[in-house]
Amino acid sequence: MSQEHIEHAIRKEYAAGFTTDIESDTLPPGLNSDTIRFISAHKNEPEWLLEWRLEAYRHWLEMAEPEWAHVQYPPVKFDEISYFSSPKAMKDRPQSLDEVDPALIETYNKLGIPLHEQAVLAGVAMDVVFDSVSVTTTFREKLFEAGVIFCSISEAVHDYPELIKKYLGTVVPRKDNFYAALNSAVFSDGSFVYIPKGVRCPMELSTYFRINEANTGQFERTLIVADEGSHVSYLEGCTAPMRDENQLHAAVVELVALDGAEIKYSTVQNWYPGDAEGKGGIYNFVTKRGVAHRDSKISWTQVETGSAITWKYPSCILRGDNSVGEFYSVALTNNAQQADTGTKMIHLGKNTRSTIISKGISAGHSSNAYRGLVRMSPRAEGARNYTQCDSLLIGDRCAAHTFPYIESRNPSAVIEHEATTSKVSDDQLYLCQQRGLNAEKAVSMIVNGFCKEVFRELPMEFAMEAGKLLEVSLEGSVG
Amino acid sequence: MLKIDNLHAKVDDKDILKGLNLTVAAGEVHAIMGPNGSGKSTLGHVLAGRPGYTVTAGSARLLGQDLLELDTEHRAHLGLFLAYQYPVEIPGVSNMEFLKASVDAVREHRGDPALDSMSFMKKAREACKAVDLDLAFLKRGVNEGFSGGEKKRNELMQMMLLEPKLCIMDETDSGLDIDALQVVASGINAMRSPDRSIILVTHYQRLLTFIEPDHVHVLSGGRIVKSGDKSLALELEERGYAWLEDVA
Amino acid sequence: MSDFMREALAAAAQRAPAWLEPVQARGRNLWGKTTLPNRKTEAWKYTSLQALQQPFSAPAPQARGAAISEASLPQLDGPTLIFTDGQYRQDLSNTAVPSGLSLVRFGDATAEQAAQISAALGTAVLPGRHVFSPLNDATLVDGVFMAVAADTQLEEPVHIAWLTTGQNESTSITQRLLVCMGPNSQATLVESFANTATGGTAFTNGLTELLLDRGAHLSHYRLHLEQGDVVHIGGVHARQGADSQLHGFHLALGSVLKRIDLVVDHQGSGAHCSMDGLYLPRGTETVDYHTCMEHAVPHCTSRERFRGIIADEATAIFNGRIHIHPEAQKTRAELSNKNLLTSNKAEINTKPELEIYADDVQCAHGATVAQLDPLALHYLRTRGVPRDEAEVMLSYGFINELVEEIGQPVIKAFLKPLLAKRFAHDARLARHIL
Repeated sequence: MSQEHIEHAIRKEYAAGFTTDIESDTLPPGLNSDTIRFISAHKNEPEWLLEWRLEAYRHWLEMAEPEWAHVQYPPVKFDEISYFSSPKAMKDRPQSLDEVDPALIETYNKLGIPLHEQAVLAGVAMDVVFDSVSVTTTFREKLFEAGVIFCSISEAVHDYPELIKKYLGTVVPRKDNFYAALNSAVFSDGSFVYIPKGVRCPMELSTYFRINEANTGQFERTLIVADEGSHVSYLEGCTAPMRDENQLHAAVVELVALDGAEIKYSTVQNWYPGDAEGKGGIYNFVTKRGVAHRDSKISWTQVETGSAITWKYPSCILRGDNSVGEFYSVALTNNAQQADTGTKMIHLGKNTRSTIISKGISAGHSSNAYRGLVRMSPRAEGARNYTQCDSLLIGDRCAAHTFPYIESRNPSAVIEHEATTSKVSDDQLYLCQQRGLNAEKAVSMIVNGFCKEVFRELPMEFAMEAGKLLEVSLEGSVG
Repeated sequence: MLKIDNLHAKVDDKDILKGLNLTVAAGEVHAIMGPNGSGKSTLGHVLAGRPGYTVTAGSARLLGQDLLELDTEHRAHLGLFLAYQYPVEIPGVSNMEFLKASVDAVREHRGDPALDSMSFMKKAREACKAVDLDLAFLKRGVNEGFSGGEKKRNELMQMMLLEPKLCIMDETDSGLDIDALQVVASGINAMRSPDRSIILVTHYQRLLTFIEPDHVHVLSGGRIVKSGDKSLALELEERGYAWLEDVA
Repeated sequence: MSDFMREALAAAAQRAPAWLEPVQARGRNLWGKTTLPNRKTEAWKYTSLQALQQPFSAPAPQARGAAISEASLPQLDGPTLIFTDGQYRQDLSNTAVPSGLSLVRFGDATAEQAAQISAALGTAVLPGRHVFSPLNDATLVDGVFMAVAADTQLEEPVHIAWLTTGQNESTSITQRLLVCMGPNSQATLVESFANTATGGTAFTNGLTELLLDRGAHLSHYRLHLEQGDVVHIGGVHARQGADSQLHGFHLALGSVLKRIDLVVDHQGSGAHCSMDGLYLPRGTETVDYHTCMEHAVPHCTSRERFRGIIADEATAIFNGRIHIHPEAQKTRAELSNKNLLTSNKAEINTKPELEIYADDVQCAHGATVAQLDPLALHYLRTRGVPRDEAEVMLSYGFINELVEEIGQPVIKAFLKPLLAKRFAHDARLARHIL
């Protein structure tokens, strides 16, 4: 493809980059124990949770930022970030959608996420987190009938304190890593899901996250507990306005799949990636992990196209015998984006199985790294892992890396890892163009083909969306 | 030679053999035919002691010895040979060292003196010639990169060298063109002798036009549902297996 | 810096030829600023340097090793230099060299050769790439310099062997080899390391530099046969000129600790490197191979195949890095690493890495970990081969594919029985391996 085409494709504008003019209560920048007391008080939290946060904060103060990832960025100034922002009208939580600020509803309409239940994609219940707080959860009643709890985590702290106490921080402990500790100290809101024993959640659950305010960080926390024999499919989507400053997103997601349960967690991440020169954009430093008990299954599917910097390793602790972990990922970086993403599959139980399919696409002068860990513990009799990491390079200024860590301490465990790298070849492009496709369309087709093993894991509605998103993100990358 | 009594066996928790009876006398050639999934291949693997194949009831005796209590290699020493339908590829282990190790082990058990390299090579060369395999195959990894037909001929060559008492040929004819089939059939015919028995497991009658069996059995649903002479094979060729399921 | 080498450093400073003093001084200076890596150092994440906790001293200059058994080293006909406990053994060596080959110890170098050595020494070791190279410099008293003149094709392999006899406790040995292959020259080089059965604790710091000029071909064997209480921290650093070819074969039997870094820097277009390796730790041994292919220029190729069999309570580490620089378009690089664990307490940590900054390249790597194929084992048994013998045949078969391709018949003939026996507690079990 010609350089010119590539450039054009890369230079596509970020479509979700508008801001919304909403009055909000935003905490002045800075972080100390008073900030945490404020957040906790503002949310009217019980004493134990405040203590839990403060303990995390004390740990965080003693921890160092991780430096091993293959990404470069100026040091984050943690005292210049505001750790809490809430749309003003949210002080008295709206009782129904009619009370939600119309400007906010307009925001989500622009994003293509209709909040009104009748307009919501059939069968998808949605929780929406705007800056730091959850603004609305749709379809609650219908879910409640099935016994499914789907609400913001702030509400869950009040309404289901036993569940929160029992599971919060059990998968990602407060001291787990620098960003998880920070999140534990200041997390603002997020979603909570509980699927009771034997229940198959009657609809897809979905959360949309959006950072709106300038200079704010977003620290949401998601906790999903699937009780024995239950099943749930959950999808999260993320966007943010275009701003020249970098904004921090440090989320924690914890999944608990009890015996025989199945959790499918899909992400379409389209945080603002910064401009073509690398100015602005979200720092996406996220800890996602699930614990799979006996005969259960946790499946992560992610399509990552946004963020200036991505540092993210959705992982599975395969604790129970016969449990299954899956990781399907498409990570696309363009312009000056940097991604260091992958997964960890920790095989503890017998006959545990894991599959890792990672597709990295680098364009522009971006850098895209897969980093993964497969560990077979001495007890993981008969465990198996299959990993395939493919990189596609578009243009000669980008970089693609693969760092797989493979550790085995059980002779009966079988591990297979393969990685390849390729580029969009002139022959492929020529063939497509011969068939009347323009270069951009051709590249997008080739990229879609490259990613199809991952896309077919996404819920139907979002597979379409993901394909489009790639096309948009790649605009200008073809020449 | 072989006496199988009420044999029941499972593969991966699925019952495959459900009360199979079969008696094979010395010097006889038996053909076992049957539809796909009837348990034909399972029989051979159960007798050879393949891991994952569990006997749940019944008995199998070879030359008066309880076959089922023996390790796989001891069954081979006793004289059991299973020619695989899908022979296993073992890169890195040469065909030659594999054959020599087998022959030495079997001869040692029989109390025959070990063959020196010269006599072994002579025998190996003859066997290669008999099955029309190039000598170069001796140096290659076991079955590594062999075509389907070459693998089958390699199985036959092993059989010639090991001189077993009971040969079970698992779909040895499948995937062979007519020329290769003739080579394999004449190899098997050459092995016929009064103190050796042969079981041909096959889906088609085709092989039996080259190797005339003394008895033909139909295996269906994990049991032998009909036995007869070679004319049964022809009848099966004409009528298929469906009519026998009623009999079962 | 830990002072486990204090004595050895002091001894070396007094014994080096004058022209080596600047090298030693530079090394001492750098080593003084070096922090010994620990488990938090990425390149040493899985490998502990606990074995270097005790002090090591330089071998006494007058030490003479015991007579060496013929069987402990491959018997090659070409020029051979043998060192026991770090001391050159004129009596065991064969220094007749064909024309076009210079083979001298640093101590015997002429002024001209000394100048050549000084100019080239250390140039193949990329800065910061070998944490123990400053120590090697600082303790360097007697290295070997091998130079093959332009267009020379050596018939016989050059063999350099280092033996430890363990006559002295806690000996430290500094091995150094500098090879300069002239344009279009061809040679085979065998480096072997072994110890006698009575060996005590020894620490070998090995460093070999291979400089291949345009069109040069070098077949390089580096055989680590040391066992027992031997610690070997070693490195081979190669720099390849245009159209040069380097074919490496590496073997490491286990010992207390072996850590070998193999770094190949493709500096000239059209260069090719193939590298095969085997590591076979058992007992409580540790073997760690770190390889790195630096593709800095276009149109180069590399192929690596490493296989490991890890037994008992042993640990193996393999790290294979392929680094494609932005200019290195049209590179083809592949790496395969296969491992067999044969015990419940064995451990493997492998990390094949790709770091790619150019788009028009073909790179692939694969890694597997498994046990012996149960189907293959059963197949052998259906042919009457007893289980224990079948296991030996299959274990050997796992590495035999690489052994079969060894180009030097003497090396192959030497290694086959040695490796076959490695898997058989009873020699009878290996009798069918040809």
